[in-house]
Amino acid sequence: MESWLEFAKGPLFRLTFAIMLLGLIRIFMLDIWGIYKAYRKAGDKNMPWKLVLSRGLEWFFPVNRVARNRPFYSTFSTLFHIGLLVVPIFLYAHVKQWEKSIGISWITLPFDWAYWLTISTIVFAIALLMGRMFNKSSSFLSRKQDYLWPILLLIPFITGFVCAHLNVNPTYYQFFMLMHVLSGNLIFILIPFTKIAHCVLMPLSQVVCTIAWKFPPETDEAVCSTLNKKGAAV
Amino acid sequence: MNRVQNTKIILWLITGFAAAVGLNRFIFGLGATTNLTDSTPWGLWIGFDVMGGVALAAGGFVMTAIFYIMKREEFHPLVKPAVLTAFLGYMAVILGLLFDLGLPWNIWHMIIFWNPHSPLFEVGWCVMLYSAVLLLEFSPVPLEKYSRYAKIRNFLMKFRFVFVLLGIMLSTLHQSSLGSLFLIMPFKLHPLWYSNILPIQFFLSAVALGLMMVAFESLASHWLYKRKPETSLVEKLGKTVVWVLSIYLIVKIIDILAAGEITIVLNGSWESFVFISEIFISIIFPIIIFSVPKMRRNIKAQWIGSFMVVFGMVFNRINVGGLTMLSITGDSYTPSWMEITISLGVVSAAALVFLFVIEHFNIWDLKPQDPESLPHTAPSFDYSSHAWLGTPDAASLTKFSLAFVLSFAVGMALMPEKKLHGKGIEEITVSRASGIERLLINGNKDDNLVEFPHKEHIARLGEDQCAQCHHLTLPRFIENSCWECHTNMYKPVDYFKHNWHASSSGANIKCDNCHVEGVQRESKSAKNCVDCHPKYDFNNARFIGSQKYFAISYTDAFHQLCVSCHFIKADELNKQNLTECKSCHKVKIHDQVAENLKWKTTLPHFNSVILPNIEKEKNQSEMSKDEKENINN
Ligand code: HEC
Ligand code: HEC
Ligand code: HEM
Repeated sequence: MESWLEFAKGPLFRLTFAIMLLGLIRIFMLDIWGIYKAYRKAGDKNMPWKLVLSRGLEWFFPVNRVARNRPFYSTFSTLFHIGLLVVPIFLYAHVKQWEKSIGISWITLPFDWAYWLTISTIVFAIALLMGRMFNKSSSFLSRKQDYLWPILLLIPFITGFVCAHLNVNPTYYQFFMLMHVLSGNLIFILIPFTKIAHCVLMPLSQVVCTIAWKFPPETDEAVCSTLNKKGAAV
Repeated sequence: MNRVQNTKIILWLITGFAAAVGLNRFIFGLGATTNLTDSTPWGLWIGFDVMGGVALAAGGFVMTAIFYIMKREEFHPLVKPAVLTAFLGYMAVILGLLFDLGLPWNIWHMIIFWNPHSPLFEVGWCVMLYSAVLLLEFSPVPLEKYSRYAKIRNFLMKFRFVFVLLGIMLSTLHQSSLGSLFLIMPFKLHPLWYSNILPIQFFLSAVALGLMMVAFESLASHWLYKRKPETSLVEKLGKTVVWVLSIYLIVKIIDILAAGEITIVLNGSWESFVFISEIFISIIFPIIIFSVPKMRRNIKAQWIGSFMVVFGMVFNRINVGGLTMLSITGDSYTPSWMEITISLGVVSAAALVFLFVIEHFNIWDLKPQDPESLPHTAPSFDYSSHAWLGTPDAASLTKFSLAFVLSFAVGMALMPEKKLHGKGIEEITVSRASGIERLLINGNKDDNLVEFPHKEHIARLGEDQCAQCHHLTLPRFIENSCWECHTNMYKPVDYFKHNWHASSSGANIKCDNCHVEGVQRESKSAKNCVDCHPKYDFNNARFIGSQKYFAISYTDAFHQLCVSCHFIKADELNKQNLTECKSCHKVKIHDQVAENLKWKTTLPHFNSVILPNIEKEKNQSEMSKDEKENINN
């Protein structure tokens, strides 16, 4: 098990982390490029940039119009996201790993904060999952991956918590640590290719929407003719 | 999928992989990535990327000379690609050099700190000036596309002839000065390749290579884009190259004969084999192929002939650049996989830029199109996932970037861990000293041993003073010797085996049995060794830092222990020779170093011994006086 752990923390981690980092940069660039192309084709080039920006910012903050519709959902979701991002990045044990391998370190979470943030993230993740399952309209909209993602995200949090706070014996420690690192690596690989890519694409979505309204009136026909389906209903 | 797409995907894969390895080189340095040593400081990167790159770029000046000066109008279609190749070749050279330079951020130094006596200085300036000229020579082509820049373009076009002339002059100078670079190492280069007229040989071979590189490139790009090959032009190039190669061959033969080296050619050593095959591949076979008219016109023969010249001449540069120095330096250098990867990556990146430029600008009269990038071809689907990849050009971007990301990630995964120090300091696990009363200390078993009168030292210090030297005792032992913790000859080691303690196959201790529960697990919160190993006597610890459990290297441990006491005792007993190296090192090190300088062997250990810094100025000044006498003797 030790050598498996070594492998998962070393080569495998570098592989998946590079895929995640470059993969996110890649889709971000591809998106920007697509937006640029679309913008050049747009009939009306007067983009309301200010509106786009303020709408975009609105999405980042929980106190917005959407939040008024589903107040619990949006609060839970925000708190969940805070833990999801802060814990893995600023955890002392994680930063130590970085320091050991490439010599870079940054501020770390105090012990108690890490403890409570981990617990809260686990709780909110389960709450969100329940919400999705038992709320009719959201379960109608959900695909398989929408259920699988929270479960997958829970694994590193739970195993990490077991390792960090329960004084288990080394055999269990190594087993949980292996699960922890493997699930983390799986998450890294999946991020740029699934809906989690929203972490970099979100800021662009407002622009994409706005541009779509700016296409010249006959765009639909051009689309049809490109697809060799001239005259088909749009 | 089609030919161009597949080729590009392969090139992107190589580039991505090499980018990860290149990152490794810049983070961890040359030692971690290359097999270069002090006696073989120039390896594949110089031989292939720099020397080969410059030589491949020779097409630029050869074609411009033929077209603009000899006014052979029929070669017009080949001029722009040739200049482009030359430019990209030089860019590749610069990129390759950045990998090879130990301190790449100092590359601008030669612009300000002039050293006109150095051939490298000349080479550097030539590269710089010629790349600038090539840029000016080529930039009208991309500028053509933008009407905004018409003025600049017209201005450049006016001076085109000047640039062409400058370009021809500079690269003539440069091709030959790469040869002169090796004139200063007659004792390092193998006699078959060393010659007083190396500059002339380099120039001649560059002309031949330039012609054939243009031919090869024309054949390759026409194949790639499925266009009608320029057979007749290649045929004319072939005719010319026969002349150049013949002159080159004659010069080489005369040179070998005049130097009386004909016996070396035939003496059956591996160098003679390399030499003969180089001559056949780069000169004799191509001459045969291109002088028979029927073969000259045959496209397959053209492929083979031009490839042979290109390969053979680059092989020649690799030979001169380092390969044939090996038997004289006594080194065994084979490029590491990382060096090879980076070389390939540089070439692939250049090829990608080349393909990009010929697709987007008017290099050929008829611009080639990547079929998938035409605006009205049907959109492309990824056949494995049936996902629509967007419009055709978006689709190719999607694929290429994915290829880059994936191969980059694989490169990251293969990065070697814990090789931070590279070859510079050898990883040698020490072996224990032998003997009883007089210990023979020979950690790295190179027979440069130190004879240590152990019993005498005990007698001198007293039986109860063992801990002065034996400062730490492992559990269940009474006394431990130096080699048991200072396990590495030249590197410090972490002798506190943290993971071993915490693993089920090791000491099987839970984390919180050493780290206080409910607090961050870190050094500060950890128990001390003595809490579990009461026998450890840290008060007598000589050089132990209390938190970081590092054991300094074997060499340093001895030097700190033995030399510092000898310095003190030398003063007390007024026996100054106790401070000399040779009071312990009876074997004469100076002889060994001298031997080393003859490039016979490499003993990197002499670089890495760090003597303790003891503030005894009086002693030190006397020691240096003594040492001077020693050396004089
Ligand atoms: C045998 C006692 C022992 C056990 C068991 C142990 N540690 Fe440690 N740990 C130490 C000591 C001693 C240090 C300080 C090492 C140093 O400074 O070189 C340390 C340091 C650390 C550090 C900081 C490393 C650094 O570079 O500063 C971390 C993190 C750590 N331990 C985590 C753990 C975890 C997690 C476990 C359980 C799997 C564990 N330790 C089990 C003794 C132990
Ligand atoms: C505590 C001080 C001390 C330490 C530590 C020590 N030495 Fe010595 N060493 C001496 C003294 C004192 C002499 C005797 C000088 C004399 O009277 O000739 C000596 C003599 C020697 C001699 C004989 C020199 C000669 O010219 O005859 C050798 C060899 C030697 N030491 C090697 C070592 C080595 C190797 C070590 C480290 C493992 C070491 N010593 C550590 C104090 C020390
Ligand atoms: C998506 C990826 C990951 C997430 C969300 C995650 C999350 C966590 C959490 C929540 C903890 C427990 C912190 C606490 O309660 O104090 C933890 C601990 C830890 N994680 Fe991760 N982690 C991830 C990936 C990784 C990876 C890839 C590695 C190794 C390379 C790793 C190594 C560790 C270590 C060593 C600990 C410390 C356990 C201890 O203190 O004993 N984690 N992680």
